[in-house]
Amino acid sequence: MIKLPSIHIGKLSFLLAILVWLALLFVDLTRLFGAINDLNSGIAPEFTWILEILFFITVYGFYNYAINKDARNDFLSLIWRAASTGMFASAIFLLVQLFYILLGESRLADEPFLRNFFYHVHFALVTIFLISSAILWKNLILYQKSKQVVKQWQTYEFALLLAMFFIFFNKNTFDYSFIFGLVILTGLGIVLSGNLKWIPYLTFKEKWKSLLFLFFILLSGSYLFYQTSQFSNAQQTYPINLLDNLFLISLFLFILIYALFSFLVTLFNLPTSSVFEQKLTEAINFQRLSQSIQPEESEEQVLDILIDSCMSAAYADAAWMEMHRLETGTELIQERWINEETRNELSEKISGMKAASQWETETKPDNLSPLALRLDHPKFESILIIPLVVNKSVIGRLVLCKEVKDGFNKEMINIISTFTRQASIAVENHRLLNQAIQNERYQEELKIAQRVQKSLLPVKLDHNESFEICAYSNAADEVGGDYYDTFQLDENRFVLIIGDVSGKGTSAAFHMSQMKGIFQSLIQLDLGASEFMNRANSALSRCLERNHFITASIFIIDTSNHTFLHARAGHVPTLMWEKSKNKADFLGVDGLGLGILRNMQYEKHVEEKVFSFESGDILLLFTDGIVEAKNQKSQQFGFERVRSLVEVYHHLSPREIQTKLIDSLHDFVEGDGMIDDDYSLMVVKFN
Amino acid sequence: MLSIHTHEEHTHHILRIQGEIDASNSVQLDESIRSLADNGAKSILVDGSDLEYISSAGLGVFMSYLEDFQEQGVSLKIFALDPKVFEVFKILGLDQLISIFPTKEEAIQEV
Repeated sequence: MIKLPSIHIGKLSFLLAILVWLALLFVDLTRLFGAINDLNSGIAPEFTWILEILFFITVYGFYNYAINKDARNDFLSLIWRAASTGMFASAIFLLVQLFYILLGESRLADEPFLRNFFYHVHFALVTIFLISSAILWKNLILYQKSKQVVKQWQTYEFALLLAMFFIFFNKNTFDYSFIFGLVILTGLGIVLSGNLKWIPYLTFKEKWKSLLFLFFILLSGSYLFYQTSQFSNAQQTYPINLLDNLFLISLFLFILIYALFSFLVTLFNLPTSSVFEQKLTEAINFQRLSQSIQPEESEEQVLDILIDSCMSAAYADAAWMEMHRLETGTELIQERWINEETRNELSEKISGMKAASQWETETKPDNLSPLALRLDHPKFESILIIPLVVNKSVIGRLVLCKEVKDGFNKEMINIISTFTRQASIAVENHRLLNQAIQNERYQEELKIAQRVQKSLLPVKLDHNESFEICAYSNAADEVGGDYYDTFQLDENRFVLIIGDVSGKGTSAAFHMSQMKGIFQSLIQLDLGASEFMNRANSALSRCLERNHFITASIFIIDTSNHTFLHARAGHVPTLMWEKSKNKADFLGVDGLGLGILRNMQYEKHVEEKVFSFESGDILLLFTDGIVEAKNQKSQQFGFERVRSLVEVYHHLSPREIQTKLIDSLHDFVEGDGMIDDDYSLMVVKFN
Repeated sequence: MLSIHTHEEHTHHILRIQGEIDASNSVQLDESIRSLADNGAKSILVDGSDLEYISSAGLGVFMSYLEDFQEQGVSLKIFALDPKVFEVFKILGLDQLISIFPTKEEAIQEV
C-alpha cells in the first residue's frame, strides 16, 4: 500500500500562491526585457492574466482555510486581522516610497526592473489585503445567517468570480462595460454592507476598540487605493496593468464601504450600547435562573441569583428578601446594601401603607403582581415589593429599594415579574424533584420490606402423607399483617397457625414479625392449644400498641389417632368439611383476641377443643380479609359464600380449592386491587 | 362515611354512630369517646343501630378503653347492633368484655 501524504490545504495554497506570484513576476519581467530591447518576447498578455487569476484563487484558498480554521473568531480579532494586514501593506509601501525618495535622482531610481518588482509587490500586498479582508467581512456578514443573506453573499462571490475573468473580455481597457460591471458589483457590495448585526453584541469597550481598528482599515485601505490609482496614471513605466482589474477595484470598494458602514454604525451605537448590554445580562440571568434547578443546588442559590438579577434589572440601590416559614415566622434570606435598622424602618413604613396592606391580604396569590410604592424615607424614596409565589401560595417577598422617587418603570417591573416567576418555577421544581427523589427512596424501602416480609412466611409447609396442605397470602399495601406457619412436633404431630394483626400496612407488618417471633418460640415448647394462646397473649401484651390486637387460630394435628386440638383467639372461625356429613361447618370454639386483655384474666376467655377427622375432610383456615371483602354494591363476600364454595369443590385438591376460592373472591369484588385488607388462607385436606 | 352524635339522657351519655368505621376514621370514634370520658361521663351508651360495618381498627378503639374504664368506674355499653356487626364483636370475643344489649331500654336497666 502506498501511503499518500495528507494534503495540507493551507500550506499547499500558500506555496502555490508564492510560486504563481514568482511566475507572474518572471513573465512580466521577461516581457519588460523584450520591450526595452525591442525584442518580441512572444508572451501574450493572456498568459499574465491567467497567472493573475491563479494568484487570486490561491490567495483566496489560503485565507479561506486559515481564517475558518481559527476557532477564536470573535469580532474584534477579525477586525484586527484586517486592520493589521492593511497597515502592514501600507507600511511596506511607505518604506518603498521612502527608499525612492532617498535614492533621489540616481540611476537606480529609474531602473524599470526594480520599479516593476515593487509594482508586483504592491499588487501582491493589495490582493492579500483585499481578499483576506473580504473573507473576514464574510464572517461578519454571515454572523446571523438567514437564507436570504447567504444567497446574497453567494451571488456576490459568483459575481466576483466572473469579474476575475472579465479581463479576457474587455482586454484591460477602461470602457463602459467596465463601469457597468463595477456598478453592479458595488451595488451588491452595498446591499451586503447592510448586514451589521454583529455590532450590538460588542461591549462598550469593544466598540471603542473596533472603531479604532476600522479607522486603521479605512486609512490604510484608502492609502492603498490612492497608490493604486497613482500606478494607473504612470502606466507607461509598466508594460502590463495588473491593478486596473474589475475584481480588485470592486473588492476595494466593497472593503472600504463595509468598513465605513461598520465604523459609522458602531459610532452611533455607542450611546445605546449599555441598554443592549443590560438586555443581554437579563437574558443570561434568565437562563441562569432556569438552569438552577439541579437537585444538588439549594433554593437559596436560586434566590441568590434572583435578587442579583432583579437588582441589576431595576438599577436598585438596595434590596432584601424575606421568606415565610411556618415554624419560625418570617425569616430573612438575603440582604444587599442595607442594614437591619434601615430595613426595619422601611418594613414599618410599608406595613403602614394602605396599598401594601391590601396587597398583603390578597387571597389569590396568582393575581399578585409587583407593587411599586413611594416612600417617605430620608434615604430610599421608592420601593418595589415582589411576591414569591410557589405552588399557589406566597412563600415570601423580595423588596427592592431606590434612592430616587418613582424609580421603577414598567419595563423593569415586567422583567422583574418574569424573573420572579422563573425563580418560583425553579424553586417549585426543585421541591417537587426532591419530593420525587424522597418518594422513590420510600418506594425502594417498601420493596425491601415487602421482600423481607415475604421471607417471613414459610415456603415449605410441614406435613406428612396423612394430609395435603397449601397456603396463600396477599397484602393490601406493600406489606401486611397476616401470618401463617407450620411446625412439626414429632413424627405424627403437626402445628398449623394462622394469625392477623388488626389494621394493615407498615404498623401491622411490624406486629406481624413480632407475632412470628413469639409463635415460633412458643410452638417449640409443645404446649396445649389454650396454653399456647395464654402465653402468646401475655408476650404480645407487652409489645403491642394499646389499640392493636392480634387474632389467631392454632391447630395441633395428630395424624396417628386422627384428631386435632384447636384453640381460637378472636380469629374468624375455621371451616371444616366433613365427608361423613357431606357438609361444611364453622368450628365453634370461643376465644378472645390476643392483646385485648393484658392480664391473667385472659385464660378465662380462651378454650380448646378436640376434633376428630376422617379421610376426605377439609380444613379451611382464613383471615377476615376474605369474608369482609366488599363488592361495588358494598356487599361482603361473607361466610356463606366461603362455605358453599367448599361444599361445591370439596372433591378437588387443596391447591385447586384455593385457586377456586381466590378466583371467585376476585370475581366478586371485580378486580384484584379492590380488596382493601390483607387476606390469607390455608387449605388442609386429610387423606 | 361516618358521623357520630352525642347527647345526654339523664345520667347517660348516648353516642350514636352512623355509617362505617374503618382504619381511616377510627380516630374520630376515639376522639368522641375520649372527650366524653374527659368530661366526666360515667355511663356511655353506644347506639349501634346505624353502624353498618366495623373493622378491626374500630374494634381496637373500644378495646383500648376497656382497662381504663374499669379502673375509673366508667361503664361502656353497646346496644341495638346489627346482627352482622354483632358477629364481628362476637368472633373477636369482645362480647364477653363489653356489655352488648339488643335494645336501649335493656342497656339502661342493666346496672
